[in-house]
Amino acid sequence: MPLTFAKPGHTGVIQRILGKDEARRHLESLGFVVGAAVSVVAERGGNLILQIRDSRVALDRATASRILIS
Amino acid sequence: MGMKIALAGNPNCGKTTLFNALTGASQHVGNWPGVTVEKKEGKLRGHGDVIIQDLPGVYSLSPYTLEEVVTRDYLVTEQPDAILNIIDASNLERNLYLTTQLMELGLPVVIALNMMDVVRRQGGSIQSSALSQALGVPVVEISALKGENCVEAALEAVRAAKSRQAAKPVTFGEDIEHALEQIGTQVSGHCQPSHNRWYAVKLFERDARTELPLGQMAKDTIEAYIKTVEDAQDDDAESIITNARYECAAKLAHAAGREGKVHKLTGSDKIDQIVTNRWLGFPIFVGVMFLVYYLSISTVGTMMTDWVNDVLFGEIIPPAVEGWLASAATPEWLNGLVLDGIVAGVGSVLGFLPQMMVLFLCLAFLEDCGYMARIAFLMDRIFRRFGLSGKSFIPMLIGTGCGVPGIMASRTIENQRDRRMTVITTTFIPCSAKLPVIALIAGALFGGAWWVGPSAYFVGVAAIICSGIILKKTRLFVGDPAPFVMELPAYHWPSLKGVLRHMWERAVAFIKKAGTVIFLAVTLIWFLQTFNFRLEMVEQNESILASIGNVLAPIFAPLGWGDWRAAVAAISGLIAKENVVGTLGVLFGFAEVAEDGVEIWGTMQQVFTPVAAYSFLVFNLLCAPCFAAIGAVRRELGGKWTLIAVGYQCLLAYMVSLCIYQFGALLTGAASFGVGTVVAIIILVVFLYLLFRPQPKPESKLRRAAVKA
Repeated sequence: MPLTFAKPGHTGVIQRILGKDEARRHLESLGFVVGAAVSVVAERGGNLILQIRDSRVALDRATASRILIS
Repeated sequence: MGMKIALAGNPNCGKTTLFNALTGASQHVGNWPGVTVEKKEGKLRGHGDVIIQDLPGVYSLSPYTLEEVVTRDYLVTEQPDAILNIIDASNLERNLYLTTQLMELGLPVVIALNMMDVVRRQGGSIQSSALSQALGVPVVEISALKGENCVEAALEAVRAAKSRQAAKPVTFGEDIEHALEQIGTQVSGHCQPSHNRWYAVKLFERDARTELPLGQMAKDTIEAYIKTVEDAQDDDAESIITNARYECAAKLAHAAGREGKVHKLTGSDKIDQIVTNRWLGFPIFVGVMFLVYYLSISTVGTMMTDWVNDVLFGEIIPPAVEGWLASAATPEWLNGLVLDGIVAGVGSVLGFLPQMMVLFLCLAFLEDCGYMARIAFLMDRIFRRFGLSGKSFIPMLIGTGCGVPGIMASRTIENQRDRRMTVITTTFIPCSAKLPVIALIAGALFGGAWWVGPSAYFVGVAAIICSGIILKKTRLFVGDPAPFVMELPAYHWPSLKGVLRHMWERAVAFIKKAGTVIFLAVTLIWFLQTFNFRLEMVEQNESILASIGNVLAPIFAPLGWGDWRAAVAAISGLIAKENVVGTLGVLFGFAEVAEDGVEIWGTMQQVFTPVAAYSFLVFNLLCAPCFAAIGAVRRELGGKWTLIAVGYQCLLAYMVSLCIYQFGALLTGAASFGVGTVVAIIILVVFLYLLFRPQPKPESKLRRAAVKA
C-alpha cells in the first residue's frame, strides 16, 4: 500500500518506489530503498514525518504516495 | 607546495563546525540541513601550507540541488589531495552510503567519526578500529562541537594525502563487479587511471552528467554488460548500484559493532509531537516569532536603546563633542557636520544596537536548536496551497537576520520556478537592518506599542503568501511545486558560546556598517541638506536635498508621507536599510532635541500621522531591498529577473502602503472620501481579483490584461 495509507506508529518495509526521476534518486540517497524499514512517526494533513534508518525525514503527501510499503 | 583537504559528508553532520575548529574561521553554522551553500577555504591552524575546504553537505554524489552540484564538481574535477569524510555516527548506515561513493574517487580518504556522544547517550557503541579495518582507511573519533581530536583527524588526512594512497573502493556482488571490470577496460585511456572505477560505476548507472568521448562500439558493449546484470537482477542499473551500496553500508555498520536498535520515542519526538501538532503547531510558530519581535523591540532591547539614545547620544556624547569642538575653535560647518551629521546620523542608527543584539540572540538560538526544519515542515502545507514548498520558508527565516544569506539559501530549492519566487519574496521578511526602522516608528509614533514589531513581521509573511498566490497564477510561475523531502535534525540545546559568538559577530558587522557605509551616507545627506546648489550654507528647506526631495515627494503623497524628508529617507534605504533611520536622524535633527528625553522624536510627529507612519513603515519593509541584497538577487537569478523582482517589490510596496494610508485615514477621520479612496478601492478590488481568480488557462487574453494591471 502507499505510505500515505499508513497510520502513525506503523512500520513497514519498502516494496517499490514509483516513478523514475531525480526526486526518486534523492529519496534513495536519503535511505528510501526497496527492503528498508520505514515507520510513520507523525502525520499532518497528509504530510508525513518518517523514521528511516536512524533519521527523521519529512515528506509531502504527493511524494509519500509514491512509496509503496507492505 | 600547498595541500588541499576537502571536508565532505552528509548535510548537518558537522562539517562547518569542524571547519571552524580547524581553521579558526567563523562560518555560519546552524542545526538544519543546507546551512552551507558555497565552498569555503581556510588554512589549517598552525599548518599554513594545508588548506581546508568546506563543502556543502550531500547525501550522494548524484546531485539533486544546486549546492550539491558544487560539492560533486569540486570533488570530481578539482581533486583535493585528500578527503576528510565526516560521518554522523548516530546515523551510520546512511552516512556510509556516501562514503562508498567518496571512496571511488581515487583519492586518499580519512574518516572523522563525529557525534559519538549521541550514540553513547542512546546506549549504543561503535568500534572505530573495526570500522577502519573493514573500510581500509583511517577512522578518527572526533567531537567537532567540543573541538576534540579535530586537529588529529586533519593531520591524519595530511598523512594520507602525503602517502598518495587512494582509498580502495568497496566491492559489490560478483555479477556487478564483472560488469564494472569490463566497462573499466572500455573506459581506460579516456580518463585518468585513478578515475577508472568512478567512471565505470557512473556509466553503469547511466548517469546523465557523466560523459566520456567513447566510440559507438564501446557504448554498445557497455550497454550489453549493463543489460546482462539488469536482466539477471530484474531491476534497473541505477537501483542495483544503490541497493548494493546500502548492502555494503549495512555490512560495514555491522562490522563496526553497530546493531539495528529498537526505536523508542526520543526527546526530539516528544518535542515534535507538540510543535508539529495539528492544532498547536501553527499557533506555537506565531507565538515564537511574536516573542522574538516583542522581546527585541519592546522589552529588554528598548530599555537599553532608550538609554543609548537618551543618555549616551543625548546627554553624554553631543555635549562632550560640542565642548571639544568649541575648545578647538572649529569652523561652524565642521561643528554642523560632526554634530548634526555624524553624531545625529550614525548615532541614531547605533542607538538601536541593543535591540538588534536581542534579535540576533533570538535568531541564533532558533537556528541552532533544530526548530527551523520543523517550521519548514509545518509551512509546507500552507505554502503548497499557493505553489511553494516548505523549503522556501528556510530562506525566509534566514532572511530575518539578513536578506543576502537568505537569498543564497534558496539554492537548496531544487525547482527553478520555486527558487525564483522564493528569491523575489524572501526580502519581504523584515531583516535585522529594518529593525531600527520598525523600532523608530514604534517608539516615535506609536508610543512603543507592543504590536508594531510583531505586526511588521506578519505583514512580511502575508506579503509572501499573497505574492505566492498572485504570481503562481501568472505565466511566469505556473506549475506544480517541487516535492518536499527534508531531513529533520534532532533538537539540541545550543551552546551558550556558539549563540553568543553568533550574536557578537553580527553585532560587529552592524557596527562596521554603521562606521563605514552609513557614516558616508549620512555625511552625504548632511552635505546635501546644508548647502544649496551654489554651495552656500542655507536653511534645510532651501538645500540641494530639499530640491531633489521635493521632486520625489509628490510620488509618495498618496501614501501619506509627501514630506520631502520622508521621501529622501525611503530612497536612502537602498544603500542600507538602517540608513532610513540615519537620514531621518540628520533631517529631523535628533541631536538637537535629544537633550529633552521625552521630545526625542517629537519633530517627526509633526510630519507623520500614525497612519502615515505605518504606511511609511510598510513601504520600507516591502520595497526593493538594499543594494547588497539586490546584488545577491542578481547573482542568483541574473539581470532580467532582478528587474522583475525589484519592479514587483516596489509596485507591491506602493500599492499596499497606499491602501493602508487611504483606508486608515478614512477610518480615523483624518481624511474624507476622495480620489485617493477611490484609487485605493480599485487597487483592493484588482488585488482581490488576482488573489481569488481561478488558475487561468494558458494564453488567455484576460490573464495577460490582469498581469499588466
